[in-house]
Amino acid sequence: MMQCKNDRERMLCDISKVSFAVVDLTLYLDTHSCDSQAQDYFNHYVRLLNQMKREYAMKYGPLNLSTADGYSSEWKWANMPLPWEGVC
Amino acid sequence: MWSYEKRLQYPINIKEPNAKLAQFIISQYGGPDGELGASMRYLSQRYTIPYREIASLLTDIGTEELGHFEMVGAIVHQLTRDLSMEEIEKSGFGPYYIDHTLALWPQAAGGVPFNACQFQSKGDIITDLHEDMAAEQKARSTYDNILRTAWDNPDVYDAIKFLRAREIIHYQRFGEALRLAQEKLDAKNFYQFNPEFDRCKS
Amino acid sequence: MNDYPKFEDYRDRFPLAMAYVPWQERPILYENLEEGFCNGTLFPELNKPFTGRRCVK
Repeated sequence: MMQCKNDRERMLCDISKVSFAVVDLTLYLDTHSCDSQAQDYFNHYVRLLNQMKREYAMKYGPLNLSTADGYSSEWKWANMPLPWEGVC
Repeated sequence: MWSYEKRLQYPINIKEPNAKLAQFIISQYGGPDGELGASMRYLSQRYTIPYREIASLLTDIGTEELGHFEMVGAIVHQLTRDLSMEEIEKSGFGPYYIDHTLALWPQAAGGVPFNACQFQSKGDIITDLHEDMAAEQKARSTYDNILRTAWDNPDVYDAIKFLRAREIIHYQRFGEALRLAQEKLDAKNFYQFNPEFDRCKS
Repeated sequence: MNDYPKFEDYRDRFPLAMAYVPWQERPILYENLEEGFCNGTLFPELNKPFTGRRCVK
């Protein structure tokens, strides 16, 4: 279950949930390409996810290279926690 | 092509080392029904699929499986990183440690190294989709077997439960892809020709 | 017994020597995204938990 101890972990948890919705809807749409309601859900979650990732990158560092451009004094991308270390 | 996101698909936070569980769970890292094999299977089959939605599904599920490969690696890493020498020697983890210390190396629980013989990429859409449906069921069964050994370890149980659930969804999607393929073939004889290879039917 | 239609009633549409997985149609999603995430699917009808135990001493 999700137990998030601080703001960073809570933001990461929320990104995980929305990203999961995008993934599961992607697989559904691959076999149900005519389902426009599912497409609407997908569009909504993708837009929300992009915004959440940009906000996370500004506060705590980039999750993707596409949001790694906010820093100039340190190479933040390589100084992020590694996913297998054990955070939320 | 692929980009990388610096987080696991599902959170993994294991506080207690457990060499026995690590030896079991490594089978989903490099074993015959594991996540690496699943990913390589789907990513290999997709090139010759003549229907874009099905090729896209293979790419999307193959990509998700790479994320699961990473999750299983994280589980095994967190189960082994704080093992004492005594725990390593007495748990049966010793032989693996001799060759790999605590590093991750794709192999089955029984020691067979990961290899491409664990999957098929046949180049016939009906055959390959059946292979994929079977693969998802084999993975689910393996996770059932792991859950029976991890019921008293909530950190591990939770993550394995998620990975198992994804196999069932993938099975449903591959089944739907097979239905899509059937619609493009002649129902009087689905096996009349191979749409991935034959340019004419007779 | 469940309420699913008998396969025999649809034999014409499902020729022999082939496998058929039912289409997921008009799916309902979990209202709570966290519940779906923790169950490993957005779709309650695809949530099939494992509860088996060996129960042999």
